[in-house]
Amino acid sequence: MVLKSLNDLKDIVSGGPRKKLVVATAQDQHSLGAVIRAWKDDIIEPILIGDKEGIQNICAANNYDISGARIIHEPDIEMAVEMSVKMVSSKQGDILMKGKVGTSTLLKCVLNKEWGLRTGNLLSHFALFEVETYPKVIAVTDVAMNIAPNLKEKISIINNSVSCLIKLGYKMPKVAVLGAVEMVNENMEATLDAALLSKMNQRDQIRNCIIDGPLAFDNAVSLESARHKGIRSEVAGDTDLLLMPDIEVGNVLYKSLVFFAKAKVASVILGARVPIVLTSRSDSEQAKYDSILLSAAASK
Amino acid sequence: MVDNVRALKKKHRIAVAWAQDPNTVGAVSKAVDKGFAEAVMIGIPDEITRICRENKIDPARFRIIESENEMNASREAVRLVRSGSADIVMKGLVGTDKFLQAVMDKENGIMLPNAVLSYVGAIEMPAYHKLLFITDPAVIPFPDLDQKVAMAEYAIEMAAKFGIEKPRIALIGASEKMSRHFRNSVDYSVMCKMAERGQIKNCIMDGPLDIFLALDKKSIDIKGVKTPIDGDADILLFPSLESCNPFYKGLMLFAGGELAGLIRGTQKPVVLMSRSESENSKFYCIALACLMA
Repeated sequence: MVLKSLNDLKDIVSGGPRKKLVVATAQDQHSLGAVIRAWKDDIIEPILIGDKEGIQNICAANNYDISGARIIHEPDIEMAVEMSVKMVSSKQGDILMKGKVGTSTLLKCVLNKEWGLRTGNLLSHFALFEVETYPKVIAVTDVAMNIAPNLKEKISIINNSVSCLIKLGYKMPKVAVLGAVEMVNENMEATLDAALLSKMNQRDQIRNCIIDGPLAFDNAVSLESARHKGIRSEVAGDTDLLLMPDIEVGNVLYKSLVFFAKAKVASVILGARVPIVLTSRSDSEQAKYDSILLSAAASK
Repeated sequence: MVDNVRALKKKHRIAVAWAQDPNTVGAVSKAVDKGFAEAVMIGIPDEITRICRENKIDPARFRIIESENEMNASREAVRLVRSGSADIVMKGLVGTDKFLQAVMDKENGIMLPNAVLSYVGAIEMPAYHKLLFITDPAVIPFPDLDQKVAMAEYAIEMAAKFGIEKPRIALIGASEKMSRHFRNSVDYSVMCKMAERGQIKNCIMDGPLDIFLALDKKSIDIKGVKTPIDGDADILLFPSLESCNPFYKGLMLFAGGELAGLIRGTQKPVVLMSRSESENSKFYCIALACLMA
């Protein structure tokens, strides 16, 4: 199966068991709306940890009905985050979500060696974009977390993303390793890594997906462009997952898709014991809602 | 190969540097007999004439040019090719270093501009169903990526002269698995992608592959490795001189292999063989040079 739109996420998670979503420092207007909507849609069951009064005030001011929601009062931000992470690591939660707390504080707790959510895997950011100009949803990684991944890290990022896509119903997703050109150039490290990743995939050292690269952005997503350049590739023009060479490229692509192409986006942090919803303030409520859906699907 | 050369119906002019060597004289004479070569022997005329007589060869069939030492003889042979009076340079009794010094001389040599100097050989042996090209057993100790690409292209070019349009080229390693710890496997995956993208043309390339996967279909079945080479390689590209050289010498010693080889990267073919090489091997090298000329 291939996602045609982000609405398909709802079909994937509807009817399944409700996932326990632990919101770390839930006194955050930007998160609560999306959390409550997903709760009302029967997709998640929220556990709101944070300043109870703050949470209630926000809900009252925005007409959110939270009667029946579990709220655990912990006014101290760091304590609330620690409690949230411990709750998930003791298997009382299926998804972790960032509330008011800063990203670095949350991740520090996630990576805590004693009670954090490490699995030994690299944490990576995974985003799904719905763009009018592409016939299906396109996944992009890593646009927010790993700054300049080396080959080994790129392998982990691909593996994280491919497992997630498989949970969403994909079989053998097509992975394009992005470069500035589709040719191998010794002076462009990204193209060399791309060639290596392709070969490792051919040798079954990276499984459950079809990798090709380097591909330039145009030939990764446009069959016409790939044909024009005479590229023979199963992936070119039909990419399910785009692997970014580094965070600058990824972040600019992400933001240009959102701002110029009016893309809808859902994202999740992968590689920890559970999916982590780590949206930013500038994300729309819809994006946060879709991210919760994505995390629920990824937590299967 | 010899048939292919004869079919060209052309006599190639060979300039032999420091020619007073029985195997060399014998091989050149055989090429003249077969009708595809003429030769200029550069060296000590008396010596050359004596060797001819001892081997019942008429010295009059060669042009003989006097030269007082091996360096000058090499320079003269190269000069003849540069000036168009000869088509092929061949090393006689001169040492490889002095000979190559003349070939590679910046002002008077015959290197192609910016070319990589390398060596491609063709092995014939009963144990394999076709000619097997190998590179590089003689010139580049540890080829880098650019040099490997050049080696591949030289071998592809040579295979084409034998009518093999899209040779299967196996990039040889100890295993088919990729590892960041093996610099070669990194180069190889880059080369495979270059072949996929048309940056290296007219070949089917895969690697790393071990010798079994490159040359033996049964191993492919046993290991279950999917590779377009399919145990049917035409060309083996080795990661180093020291892996390629013992490979071919082992085949010559134990598998009845015969090798013909040529230096590549020069404007005209250069025949360079070890002085201890047999007359037959030298003859094949001359034929190969004529084919590539």
